[in-house]
Amino acid sequence: MINLAGRDILYGWGKFVFTGLGLGLLIGVTLSMAGIYRGLVDDGRVLLQNGGADLWVVQRDTLGPYAEPSSVRDDAYRGLLGIRGVAAAGNVTYLTMQIQHQRGEVRVMLVGFEPGHPGEPGYLVAGRPITRAHYEAIADLRSGLKLGERIRIRRHEYTVVGLTRRMVSSGGDPMIFVPLKDAQEVQFLRDNDALVNERARTAANPAFNRPGVPGLLEAVQASQASSHNVNVVMLRLAPGADEAVVAREIRRWKHLEAYTRADMDEILVAKLIATSAKQIFMFLVILSIVSAAIVAFIIYTMTLNKVREIAVLKLIGARNRTIAAMILQQALGLGAIGFIVGKTAATLWAPIFPKYVLLLPGDAVLGAILVLAISALASIVAIRAALRVDPATAIGG
Amino acid sequence: MTQPAIEISGLTKRYGEGDAAVDALKGVDMIVQPGEVVGLIGPSGSGKSTLLKCLGAVIEPTSGRMALAGETIYDNGWKVSDLRALRRDRIGYVFQAPYLIPFLDVTDNVAVLPMLAGVSNAKARERAREMLAALDVGHRAQAQVPQLSGGEQQRVAIARALVNRAPIILADEPTAPLDSERALTVIRILNEMAQRFGTAIIVVTHDEKIIPTFRRIYHIRDGRTYEEAGEARAA
Ligand SMILES: Nc1ncnc2c1ncn2[C@@H]1O[C@H](COP(=O)(O)OP(=O)(O)OP(=O)(O)O)[C@@H](O)[C@H]1O
Ligand SMILES: [Mg+2]
Repeated sequence: MINLAGRDILYGWGKFVFTGLGLGLLIGVTLSMAGIYRGLVDDGRVLLQNGGADLWVVQRDTLGPYAEPSSVRDDAYRGLLGIRGVAAAGNVTYLTMQIQHQRGEVRVMLVGFEPGHPGEPGYLVAGRPITRAHYEAIADLRSGLKLGERIRIRRHEYTVVGLTRRMVSSGGDPMIFVPLKDAQEVQFLRDNDALVNERARTAANPAFNRPGVPGLLEAVQASQASSHNVNVVMLRLAPGADEAVVAREIRRWKHLEAYTRADMDEILVAKLIATSAKQIFMFLVILSIVSAAIVAFIIYTMTLNKVREIAVLKLIGARNRTIAAMILQQALGLGAIGFIVGKTAATLWAPIFPKYVLLLPGDAVLGAILVLAISALASIVAIRAALRVDPATAIGG
Repeated sequence: MTQPAIEISGLTKRYGEGDAAVDALKGVDMIVQPGEVVGLIGPSGSGKSTLLKCLGAVIEPTSGRMALAGETIYDNGWKVSDLRALRRDRIGYVFQAPYLIPFLDVTDNVAVLPMLAGVSNAKARERAREMLAALDVGHRAQAQVPQLSGGEQQRVAIARALVNRAPIILADEPTAPLDSERALTVIRILNEMAQRFGTAIIVVTHDEKIIPTFRRIYHIRDGRTYEEAGEARAA
């Protein structure tokens, strides 16, 4: 038996190929959506890995520092170092902001860290670590910054001395690492008007302006102009220490929250990315429905255009099965073309996405199965129409 | 004595029920011998297509009897279980329009019939080419359907009707779209094939030009048949 579906496709290939292309782009978008989700999760994992920390200590009752704001005194680390099993501690701040560079502006997550302590960027792809106490920065490649480039963050200029890869916030903003003191200043720095305003308010408060206590007002005002808070203290544990035990100790004695890497993973993936994931899932559902509608519509019109041929085939003895198989094969063929186009497109355009797109082979296989299943489902309407065709119509009136 | 290829007696067909019922056939009697080409003539709405559809096993008669080569296929109910195989193996169809399948080439349009009956592709194509050659369109075997002229397409359609060596061919106004020269050629071909393969052929027609070519004619009027010796026989 000849392959009727194949012959029909070859005969009307133009319509078929163009529909396949359109469907393919849609499938490409769908695969990219899945890739973006995978990318989000992977970015989160890499972020946790590269900090080199075993425990994240944040403000009590918060899911900090990535999912909720968290504020911890920057001297809390001393007490934490005293807990058995803690080998190293590092203060870290996070702040999302716009920064200026020579060629324009970029949205980044500014990370303040202490060189040599947990929280410093895991590895550099170019340049060197920060060696000076101020005004040096390590930037992620995604920011587009280059070694030696000068960037402006609030009032000061920084020099990019090192570059990292895959260090982005959960929102996809590239990270810029600067010394902790600089970051703290940026984070809590007020503009001049606000400073003057604040000073005036403090000065007007009789409590700070008591006769007989010289210097009190000045001391209070100085303390207000700088910050002693960080967002998280990252801990590295001694070999053999049990992170769950240490975390429990911290919760009990320090009035702080401590998260293990597994906890952080859960917070990042299940909570922080959850909304994005749901959104992406919604898109996946809608795109699947649209794809199904396209396949159904095209296969249905192709079938209606063949009613006469189908009637003749039935009249001369073709089985219903033969005709159903012809239509099913065409739907599957359309799905297959669409998938190949979509996979190719998704692979080609993944690098130009601003966010990291991770195309997993497993997702592609699942996608292929889904596309074929949807195509098969979409052909049902057409198959039913074809089976209803009466062979008597071939003889006519 | 050979069995008649087609034997119909007291065949009726009623479409619909109650007030809307239409008695399209009210008692049809017909006998066609192998190798015979008979004309079926009647005014519009007289039941010609209905008769072919009953005989072609695509609609079910209401009552009466039909036999092919002595085998009863209908006697107040179908007597064969596989109507699809009956249509495929024992009846060939030629329509007013050729109704070839545009996405198959000429050879496969004919070969698809034996293929549907389970014959291998190579064998089916060989048979198709033989039949196309017999109809003088062997040189167009590789062509695509739209490249053929109307007359050539109708010959391919006849080749398709004949390729399974069906003992019966039902032709519903096969010459309607053709000019008189081509129409006569088609009738000549049908006669040749009837002679050569012993096929019984019923040709429904309105076509004045070809009516004289039939040796025997059935008139059908208001659902009933009347036999008449054709002019060719009288001559
Ligand atoms: N499917 C149907 N349902 C109801 N009535 C039908 C149906 N098919 C045909 N008829 C009626 O049966 C009668 C015979 O129709 P048929 O098609 O056999 O005529 P015909 O002789 O082939 O006419 P024509 O020369 O116009 O093709 C007509 O009155 C027609 O209206
Ligand atoms: Mg008719």
